[in-house]
Amino acid sequence: MASKSKRAVALVLTAMMAAGAFAGCGPTETGSSGGGTTTTPSNGGGSVASTTDVSTVDMYSEEMIQTVKDAIATEAETAGGTINLTMWCSGDDRDFEKSLAKEFTELYADSRYTIKVKQQTVGEDQSGGKINESPKDGADVFSFADDQLSTMVETKALAPVGQVFYNNVIANNSADSVAVVLSGDKPYAFPKTSDNGYFMYYDKRVYTDPSMVENMDEMIATANKAGKSVYLNLTNGWYNTSFFFSAGCEISYKDGKQIAHYATPEGLVAAKAMCHLASMVDSGFMAQPGSAGDNAAVVQGFQEGKLAAAVIGTWCGPDLKNIVGADNLGAAKLPTVLMNDQQVQLDSFGGYKLVGVNAFTKFPITAQALAYYLTNPDSQLKRYNTRGLIPTANAALATDVVKNDPALQAIQAQLPFAHPQGSSVGGVYWASNIGGFGSTIVTEKGKIDDSELEKQLAELEGQMK
Amino acid sequence: MTQSNAQMRTGYAAKRKAADVVIYIVLSVMVVIWIAPIVWLILQSFRGEPGITTSYLFPKKLTFDNYIRLFTDDQFPYGKWLLNTLIVAVCSCVISTLFILMVSYALSRLRFKSRKTFLNLGLVLGMFPGFMSMAAVYNIMDIFGLKQNLFALVIVYSAGAGLGYQISKGFFDTIPRSLDEAAKIDGATRNQIFWIIILPLSKPIVVYTALTTFIGPWADYIFVSYFMKANADNYTVALGLYEMLGNQTITRYFTTFCAGSVLIAIPITILFIVMQRFYVAGVTGGAVKG
Amino acid sequence: MNYLDYVQMTRGQKIAYNIKSFFTGIPGAFAKLFKMIGIVLKAIFSFIGNGFKNYGKTFTSGDAGTKLSYLIMGAGSMMHKQLGKGLIFLAIQAAYFYYMFSTGWTYISKIYSMNVEVEKGMFVDGAIGAIPPQYEIDPMFGTQKIVNLDTLDDSNRVLLYFAMTVMLTIAFFALYITNIKSAYKSQQIIAEGKTPINGIEELKMFLDERFHVTLLALPILLLIVFTILPIVFTIFMAFTNYDKQHQPPGNIYWWVGFNNFADVFYSNPEKNQTFGKILVWTFVWAVFATFTNYIFGIILALLINKKTIRFKAFWRTMFVITAAVPQFVTLLCMRMILGDSGTGAINNLLGTNYPFLSDVTWARCTVIIVNMWVGIPYTMLISSGLLMNIPEDLYESARIDGANAVQQFTKITFPYIFFVTTPYLISSFVGNINNFNVIYFLTGGGPSPTSYYKSGQTDLLVTWLYKLTKVNSDFNLSAVLGIIIFVICATGSLITFNMSKASKNEEEFS
Repeated sequence: MASKSKRAVALVLTAMMAAGAFAGCGPTETGSSGGGTTTTPSNGGGSVASTTDVSTVDMYSEEMIQTVKDAIATEAETAGGTINLTMWCSGDDRDFEKSLAKEFTELYADSRYTIKVKQQTVGEDQSGGKINESPKDGADVFSFADDQLSTMVETKALAPVGQVFYNNVIANNSADSVAVVLSGDKPYAFPKTSDNGYFMYYDKRVYTDPSMVENMDEMIATANKAGKSVYLNLTNGWYNTSFFFSAGCEISYKDGKQIAHYATPEGLVAAKAMCHLASMVDSGFMAQPGSAGDNAAVVQGFQEGKLAAAVIGTWCGPDLKNIVGADNLGAAKLPTVLMNDQQVQLDSFGGYKLVGVNAFTKFPITAQALAYYLTNPDSQLKRYNTRGLIPTANAALATDVVKNDPALQAIQAQLPFAHPQGSSVGGVYWASNIGGFGSTIVTEKGKIDDSELEKQLAELEGQMK
Repeated sequence: MTQSNAQMRTGYAAKRKAADVVIYIVLSVMVVIWIAPIVWLILQSFRGEPGITTSYLFPKKLTFDNYIRLFTDDQFPYGKWLLNTLIVAVCSCVISTLFILMVSYALSRLRFKSRKTFLNLGLVLGMFPGFMSMAAVYNIMDIFGLKQNLFALVIVYSAGAGLGYQISKGFFDTIPRSLDEAAKIDGATRNQIFWIIILPLSKPIVVYTALTTFIGPWADYIFVSYFMKANADNYTVALGLYEMLGNQTITRYFTTFCAGSVLIAIPITILFIVMQRFYVAGVTGGAVKG
Repeated sequence: MNYLDYVQMTRGQKIAYNIKSFFTGIPGAFAKLFKMIGIVLKAIFSFIGNGFKNYGKTFTSGDAGTKLSYLIMGAGSMMHKQLGKGLIFLAIQAAYFYYMFSTGWTYISKIYSMNVEVEKGMFVDGAIGAIPPQYEIDPMFGTQKIVNLDTLDDSNRVLLYFAMTVMLTIAFFALYITNIKSAYKSQQIIAEGKTPINGIEELKMFLDERFHVTLLALPILLLIVFTILPIVFTIFMAFTNYDKQHQPPGNIYWWVGFNNFADVFYSNPEKNQTFGKILVWTFVWAVFATFTNYIFGIILALLINKKTIRFKAFWRTMFVITAAVPQFVTLLCMRMILGDSGTGAINNLLGTNYPFLSDVTWARCTVIIVNMWVGIPYTMLISSGLLMNIPEDLYESARIDGANAVQQFTKITFPYIFFVTTPYLISSFVGNINNFNVIYFLTGGGPSPTSYYKSGQTDLLVTWLYKLTKVNSDFNLSAVLGIIIFVICATGSLITFNMSKASKNEEEFS
């Protein structure tokens, strides 16, 4: 046993050194769908190494499993042989994630310890908030949406990803998804799904041709004729930041510093574009979700036949498919909007769902091994097959069934206009009243004069410092 | 009616009758306004169609599924919450009632040196908003190893009960002191006087105190929401139902929420209606008899 | 001014009188509040002071046992034939010293730690706790671990233990004085040639002469641990920088003096403007919520209790149902009914888009109206009880004087009810200032424009406090708000207190 461990250690150390060199080269180009990288989807067996890059270790080789087991055993000693981990995931995913956790405990089963994984239901949209409420009482391993990463790093609630795991994360996942887990130059999470951004779902019975969903004003007119509306939540910062991106505002977040130049001519252009849309509320446009929240408003809207299209993400996909039928549900990139008398493509946040490990966990290695297991390419593919969530792992993305997913295609089409959240906005951005800014515009139906808009934009920019 | 009524001129009587009719109409309209939301809630709880609200009033399909789902769904273990709430309510009801009676008896009928100080202290402490210090209480529970624990809730609801003495003290003040004096002459200790003489006379206030302290945990959202964090197994009904209306779940759980609300409202409402005279007597300081 | 003077006024005068007495009551109430806090503090200090005064006196005239009690608690009792009592005192002393040496002192010494590295390269004086977390990178996996998870200083814990140790010390000191007094007393009894009472007899006293101690001990102990200690802790918190960025155990927070108060009152424009706006709305809300409920509740009670109206119990029950259903149910139900188009039942049903909860003016009116729906039955219930209490002979004599129904109402019913319910009115005003449920469940504080700091246009001070604690982890700011709310409510309660004293005179009248 001892010799085995030693061998593994040597392996790991070489891997780490190689990773340093690897990271120095910058993000590698990932083959977009149909590209050159042909990887065979692994089928069972636990072997997931998708590339033969020297910098990675096969996490599920026998030696490596043994090394991890030894490490877990050391951690378990301090806790009397039992490792209790708490895991948060959303209500819809609970059964699936539970099965993965079970696989994990079986994979690393050992006579020296027992691992118990307790599951609690906290949605990805809420886990960041709940962790920040009291970091030490949060789950050891939890899923969250990438916009919460920066705040959790600020509160020191997230543990940095161990180098060994991170090497594999780099090798397995698309470069964009790996970029998202960074804060500064340190990785803080494991990419899980790539569908936390938004695009557009539409009803093909209203928009019979894909050319009809390219221009927001035309879409609204068409919907209005059909007695329906187009939904885009202007009252939520996550969505309405689109306009500021498209107008060309400088938005960036680096080293805990937020830059969002909204009190500028560009900011005003964005605000006026929002006003333009808000003026069509009640005549083909719907701009806020009401008290029930976005998902509810969209699902309900389609159910009632009031919506023809909505800017939302994959999480509404299954419900919408049930309502309008799989054949009638179209997905596309965001349309263009009128800005300064020109049609401008609407940008977006490209979003990922990540798995994080609590910095205060008693069992950091076990927890990271679990987080890694939940997000390895095999698990991601399984997740796509059972839950329909778009993977980030190259191996999973390259499978035909994933490639042909309309939602994925829409996400891919939006990709050039999508901005990663981690490097654009931080906690202070979400703490500002960017949502309230949109609410005011919607409430006034866009009838706000420029000086007032400028005043509010200046206020907003002030809050983001 | 009374004799004076009969002697009145018929015109006046007619006018009165007209006035009564107007009152009946006003009351009926108001009852409709007051009851309509409740009826709507009940209707929704039997709705078979999914989704949040509908563009029609009456459900097209009536079903018991929402009620069944309450006890079969494992994301929202309503049955567990019901049990939790019951345990917390019963425990904190017993402890709080005992505390309140003990404190109010001591402050009302016993005379000791620092009594005045206690009365003033009680008044000042009672003015701090209840959940102002919830973060601190949570930290204290943490030190005692009680966080995210039902027992912590029992403590939170009953530990401060000693401050709620005013109403029952007012009641004890009205019991004649001669009763105590007589018993004392017969050789009874103050302990015996409390149990044998005073307590049996205090049925209304005991019922009122028990009622209010029992209902408290069923309706509290603030403390549970702060104390239980993500530990859904230890939620009470109020928090659990609120969570059902979360952004991700509301579309699928709205009708279940309605069913859960109806189920929880029935016993509480009946309890309250049966006990309302004690309630009024309690609030108005025993001004109402029977 | 007595009730008779009051009834002789015209209606306008009455209203003016009540408004005047309300406002003239405010400064008095403030004075009274501070006076009362003063009284409580004075009682505590005079207790300590008297202890000291007797301290010297007892020592000079005490015998060996009494003198020894100054050093070893319980020695006097043991030497004066009260072995059990003496042992208890001794055990208390031993426990206290053990606690102080093992844990208590460490926390006291850490309450204002100097030169603590709170952030890499950032040193702070006045930190609460001295040992920050230390991170270690696993050599094999590169994972990060906090090595001193059990020994690091959690600022919360330090602050709490500090508060607890101070309180324990006060309690110990009180017991110490008691120990000396008891020793001296038994010495005197022996000097008189009697035997001091034994342990069993002394225990029996706790069921009779000292029954109040038995009754109050446990409630007060729990009150100290779970009410007073947290309040003290919260007040401390208001003077620290305990917020989202400084949450223990990952961080150590430190004392910042009055900075948080300055933020709320003048130095931070965003916070103090939000505070101003929310404070104004809180009062506007409280006034409307209280008076609408009050007036319409009484009118409803009058309608139902009118002699000729039948099925009284039925009408009453119908309204009471709304009051009886738990508030989170009725209010969440209302939120779903009044939501925006898309999810709101009414908008969905009528195909309209009324912004009941999403436009400021609408939302503010909606919460007041829904509050009427929730609250009127309460007022009705309570004032029904009071109405039955109006002495019938008042009406009898009025009728003989030829008063009609309207006159009876304005001359008898209304003044009576108004006078009797003034305390209720004010306590419900204070209750409405703290009305968490209606706002939180209905609008959640929204709508939230840019200029509001982590709050919205229907937020009250309490809901803001809750959000700051729960959602934003701004613990220091919420502590400041808690103190402000305390001052406001205490003022209100004291006005009530004085008025209810005034209304006692009125009871003699009826």
